[in-house]
Amino acid sequence: MRRIAEYGWAIGIIAVTTGLALVLRPYLQTIDIAMVFLLAVVVVAFRFRRGPAVVASLLSIAAFDFGFVPPYYTFDVRNPDFFLTFAVMLGVALAMSQLTGTIREQAEESNEREQLAAALYALSQDLAGATTLQDQLGLITRHISTAGKGEVLVLLDDGDPDPTDHAPELGMFDSVAVRVAAQWSRDHGEPAGWGTAHCAGAEALVVPLRSPSRVGGIIVLRPEKPDGVLSPRRRRLIEALADQAALALERGQLAERHEQARMEVESERLRTALLSSLSHDLRTPLSSIEGAASSLLEGSDRLSDETRREMAQTILEESRRMTRLVANLLDMVRVETGALAVHKEWQPLEEALGVALVRLEERLAGHPVETRLAPDLPLVPVDDLLVEQVFINLLENASRHTPVGTPITISAWPEGRSVIVEVADQGAGIPAGEEEAVFRKFHRSTCADRTSPAGGSGLGLTICRGIVGAHGGRIWLERNGAKGAAFRFTLPLDGPPPATVPDEALD
Amino acid sequence: MASPTPVVLLIEDEPQMRRFLGATLRAHDCQVVEAATAREGLAQAAGRNPDIILLDLGLPDRDGLEVTQEIRRSSRTPIIVISARGQERDKVTALDLGADDYLTKPFGVPELLARVRVALRHSAPAGTNPTDPVFQSGDLRVDLVRRRVFRNGEEAHLTPTEYKLLTSMVRHAGRVVTHRQLLQEVWGANYQEQSHYLRVYMAQLRHKLERDPTRPKLFLTEPGVGYRLHEGES
Repeated sequence: MRRIAEYGWAIGIIAVTTGLALVLRPYLQTIDIAMVFLLAVVVVAFRFRRGPAVVASLLSIAAFDFGFVPPYYTFDVRNPDFFLTFAVMLGVALAMSQLTGTIREQAEESNEREQLAAALYALSQDLAGATTLQDQLGLITRHISTAGKGEVLVLLDDGDPDPTDHAPELGMFDSVAVRVAAQWSRDHGEPAGWGTAHCAGAEALVVPLRSPSRVGGIIVLRPEKPDGVLSPRRRRLIEALADQAALALERGQLAERHEQARMEVESERLRTALLSSLSHDLRTPLSSIEGAASSLLEGSDRLSDETRREMAQTILEESRRMTRLVANLLDMVRVETGALAVHKEWQPLEEALGVALVRLEERLAGHPVETRLAPDLPLVPVDDLLVEQVFINLLENASRHTPVGTPITISAWPEGRSVIVEVADQGAGIPAGEEEAVFRKFHRSTCADRTSPAGGSGLGLTICRGIVGAHGGRIWLERNGAKGAAFRFTLPLDGPPPATVPDEALD
Repeated sequence: MASPTPVVLLIEDEPQMRRFLGATLRAHDCQVVEAATAREGLAQAAGRNPDIILLDLGLPDRDGLEVTQEIRRSSRTPIIVISARGQERDKVTALDLGADDYLTKPFGVPELLARVRVALRHSAPAGTNPTDPVFQSGDLRVDLVRRRVFRNGEEAHLTPTEYKLLTSMVRHAGRVVTHRQLLQEVWGANYQEQSHYLRVYMAQLRHKLERDPTRPKLFLTEPGVGYRLHEGES
């Protein structure tokens, strides 16, 4: 249609030019009339393809010869010079159409390249933001569906010889021809099916997901108009998108494998740490207990009352230490496995703090402990057992790492929709660079003496982080250095606070 | 101990624990009957008429909570349940099913003896141990007849609810009382889920009656379970 219209335009333009030239004939020289026709031919050649241009130039020559070369209204040519004019007109028409054709092709090509680049850019941009394989597949499907104008199905290679075997979702794509095309495409790494040289009878186009190292699957595209033709341009676009998708998928899978390997190394490291922690921290108290108990049993008549008391005291202290360690390990496992059930109830923070302070009374004996709870401290929705544990771990930590006699301060105040709690000591602080590391499992401060009976399990702060996190809060080292360490954590005031307790008048 | 030689039924499957508990109780003038399974324990509870039952919640043959329930069907013998840390829900359930107190493993001898002593005293038949009109523990003195409360000799002014809560605690002095029990006694059956009422009033009581409310010595928190009013040595 467009082609015929172009010829129509060419004829029309020459007809108008002829009319115009007839009007101008009395005022212009013959050679100037030739220029007018030449201009018309140039316009046609520039505007349309070669065919219309040639037609225009031939028509121009005929019209010029017939109407403007003496003798008028015959095709006779008296002056042979005019043959040159005709040749120039024809030559200009051909040259112009050739030139404009090339320019047009180049423009179209660069336009296509631009579209291709834009499509690839859009896909890669979207894929960069996708975090899961499912997201990636969704994006790839959408982009290729838009570009290819059809329904798209992405089938990843699962190692099965038949790529469509495990794809009940093939659904409307399913046909013998499509299956054959899919198989061929996967095996050869080339497109197949609709619009290609292979299995052209299939209702769908199959494009392999090629990356330099492998074919990672196939993309099946069922066109909206199955009887249409697949333009080379559209096919190129689809293939380019498929290649891009293949690379992204491979990258994602590699990253996943890498992450998996990293996790394995990490869990191996943890296992080792756990084993060394268990063997050291459990064996040490066990040795003392066994030693003291057997000594009591074997040589009780030779031991003074005081020694016997000391031995019993050792057994008691060491078994308490083991109890703490085992409790910490159990808490750790609960935090780690997500088995930490949080039963929140609105309550004054003072109560959980009180339990911790009473329980740690002996261990905190060497440290003056000051509590500064804001008078307007609201009730907080927390699991009392867990928050107690946070207080206990932070306070134990403070008492363990600070010299006897230095004070520990516990403060709490509301801030926005949270309550902030701080446990601050006045010890030497935490070595620079370990602010985050202290929260890691089995981390032991580099300056802490591992063999001292006060040595921690290296789990306390990790457990704190797990518990605070399970409450929707955050824990961090707020202050550090010469003035001591200060740990802070937030407890969000989530949900509607409970009905207030009625005020009463005094008796 | 309250009666000359109280009979203690010990239902515990771990032989080491039985040995430690048995030896300790015998050393403190108790007669000890041992049972290693729930079945055996229930039979002994019915046959030997013990004065107190120590029941481990983790028995191999039957759930300790069921055993509690079954004993309560026919007897009011005080039951002290023994359980591990982290089983707070089971403890609360056992207490609400009629157990009198609990011990969390691992525990020491003083704790064990204190629990047994309190449980025996509370189970003494009416008349032999009439509620003292004056409760005294540490700095605290509660005159239940005149409804007056003193801390360190100075009168403390309580609101009616605070006083009601205090007398509830005094009634159970030395024993653990669950949140639910206290809510029911002080506020009524409709308030059993409003544990923050209880916690807020407990905090108020502590501020009025404890020397240092952040380190309570009288109104002790039993984490995840309830409260215990410390009993002064008498």
